[in-house]
Amino acid sequence: MRMLIAATAAVVFSTPVGAQLRIVTSTTDLADIASAVGGSHVRVNHVSEGYQDPHFAEAKPSFVLQLRNADVFAFVGLDLEAGWMPILLQGARNSRVAAGGRGHIDVSQAIEVLDRARGNVDRSQGDVHALGNPHYWLDPDNGRRIAQLFRRRFSELDPKNAAAYTANATAFEAKLKAAEEGWAPALAQIKGKPVVAYHTSWKYLAEYTGMNIVGFMEPKPGVPPSPSHIASLIAEIKRTGAKAIIMEPYYSRKDADFVAARTGARVLVLAPSVGALRGQKLDSYVDVLQYDIGQIAAAVK
Amino acid sequence: MKQIIAVALLLGGIATAVNAQQPAPANARMLPDISVVGDLLGDFSPKGSTQEDRTRFGIREIELALQAAVDPYFRGDVFLGFSDAEGVHIEQAFLTTTALPAVEARLGRFLMPVGKTNTTHRHDLHTIEYPWVVQRFFGAEGLKGTGVYVSRVFAPLGFYQELQLTAVDRIGEAPEELFTEEPVNQDLSGLAFSARLRNYWDLSSAANVEISGSVLTGKVEQPYAFGGAGPSPEVNAVSAGQTILGGDATFRWRPLQEGLYRSFIAQAEIYRQTNGRSDDAAFGGPNRDFTGAYGFARWQLTRRTYVAGRYDWTQDPELGGETLTAASGYIQWYPSEFSKLTLAFERVMPARIAAVDATNRLLLQATFAIGPHKPHPF
Repeated sequence: MRMLIAATAAVVFSTPVGAQLRIVTSTTDLADIASAVGGSHVRVNHVSEGYQDPHFAEAKPSFVLQLRNADVFAFVGLDLEAGWMPILLQGARNSRVAAGGRGHIDVSQAIEVLDRARGNVDRSQGDVHALGNPHYWLDPDNGRRIAQLFRRRFSELDPKNAAAYTANATAFEAKLKAAEEGWAPALAQIKGKPVVAYHTSWKYLAEYTGMNIVGFMEPKPGVPPSPSHIASLIAEIKRTGAKAIIMEPYYSRKDADFVAARTGARVLVLAPSVGALRGQKLDSYVDVLQYDIGQIAAAVK
Repeated sequence: MKQIIAVALLLGGIATAVNAQQPAPANARMLPDISVVGDLLGDFSPKGSTQEDRTRFGIREIELALQAAVDPYFRGDVFLGFSDAEGVHIEQAFLTTTALPAVEARLGRFLMPVGKTNTTHRHDLHTIEYPWVVQRFFGAEGLKGTGVYVSRVFAPLGFYQELQLTAVDRIGEAPEELFTEEPVNQDLSGLAFSARLRNYWDLSSAANVEISGSVLTGKVEQPYAFGGAGPSPEVNAVSAGQTILGGDATFRWRPLQEGLYRSFIAQAEIYRQTNGRSDDAAFGGPNRDFTGAYGFARWQLTRRTYVAGRYDWTQDPELGGETLTAASGYIQWYPSEFSKLTLAFERVMPARIAAVDATNRLLLQATFAIGPHKPHPF
């Protein structure tokens, strides 16, 4: 009788053969790295699209349905998702992915964060992220850290496939390393060159590539350019010789084009995330970095 | 000895470096999130202020929110309202379960989940004030209830559905001037009950629609007719049943890539208030039912600017069911996510028998939020 009960319990409570970890991520970049590490053992969905400002994804009820059944919710953190994540997690009523749950993964915990606020922080400084700059995935070293974090956490949640997660993470590292060797000449072109960025989201890429961000289109984070700020930016571009204004596809080009026309700089609409440029096939994290680095190198040489 | 000191210094340096990488907790003293919303109103209506207190400039309300996890099982939310008219009052205060699977329950006072717009905080409305049908059927500040709320999300048909049920003390607040022989909720059957079924569909990545139905039922005080007498001099009202049925539909469009600059929302609600009749000859309450509705739309012009319009049609219970109609237009400007200016023009056309001319209203609202104000439901 005891053996029958034990066998029944094993059948009822064990993970069914072939079951995948159901993962939801906040961004497409986290989704791509999660897919790379998880392989066939995970099923991944994401909330925001690559061509959408991740700060302002909408907490649509359909995302609640995804989170309701998820085993893992991985998010960027540092308040990037503060405008919508609490509503979705509250609506999902899923203790696995709620704060404190085993599947609740704040990816920023694995990252060397830049721009941690010092001194007094308030909104007179614009849309400032007091805990640090959340756009960290654009540094390949952070991509590696994310992959290792996923390897570790997926292995904890699904130990029988730990070996597969380790092998996949190793393959991801190899692919990234090979890509870095490929774009090394482009990095040499970029190093030290002055550029202007629209928003503070390109800081990590700047740290990696060595490009020197001499100004931002936004006078403060989240504040659209004013005429006086544009005038001073034009002067700065002429003084430094910056040749590129790099920006995301979800901002209006109008002000950047105005500045470019008066300085000779080139407006570069780059991919901040996987799938960001719908005319380009940028379906992976490595594709995004390869594209962005190549475009910057071509513009600043 | 020098070697020992050197090793100690080295280990201390490593420890310091390791500790330097570990940021301190963001909220080590576990303070609640504290937010304040200010709702300021200017009334420039040409024939005098249309505000209850007749002021031209006023602080309609300051809302103080205190929100935090209570323990692994509950979250606490308290919203206090401060206004010149009402002093301090408890807008909402509720405990929400966080550990129940699939179900969310609340105990306390909350905005009643009846219709769509009633669950929006008044300062968050795109139209400064609630639609006329909500004001006339629920009250100028919408309908709140104190009791129990339970919600469950399900999707047996492949789309999002949510059932929201409440059992609360009564419908609205007891009118100050009406006294019944016994409280309307003397029996448990006198509590107010509501149910709302939300249905949501994504039409595309940019567009979605929500169609929902609500019902609210309970008892309210209805007066005796003028000159009519109750069982004692203090009693001037009788308890009568009231049921409100509602239907609402919301269409939203926001293209994902251009979503900072373009969006559109259209919303409509219709309510039917049915009132219990009485055979008592002294009964002075309504012997009929009332219907009200509104339609609203808002278009985003630029990143920070919106235009909107609303049309209201209501059989006004305060005027025996004669029809009140109103048409209003709005321009909104958001300097940031945390501040908003709304300019509104409204023409209110009261019932014909009211012998009151149509009223033109010109309002300017300024709202601001400080602190980590939580996002509002979609």
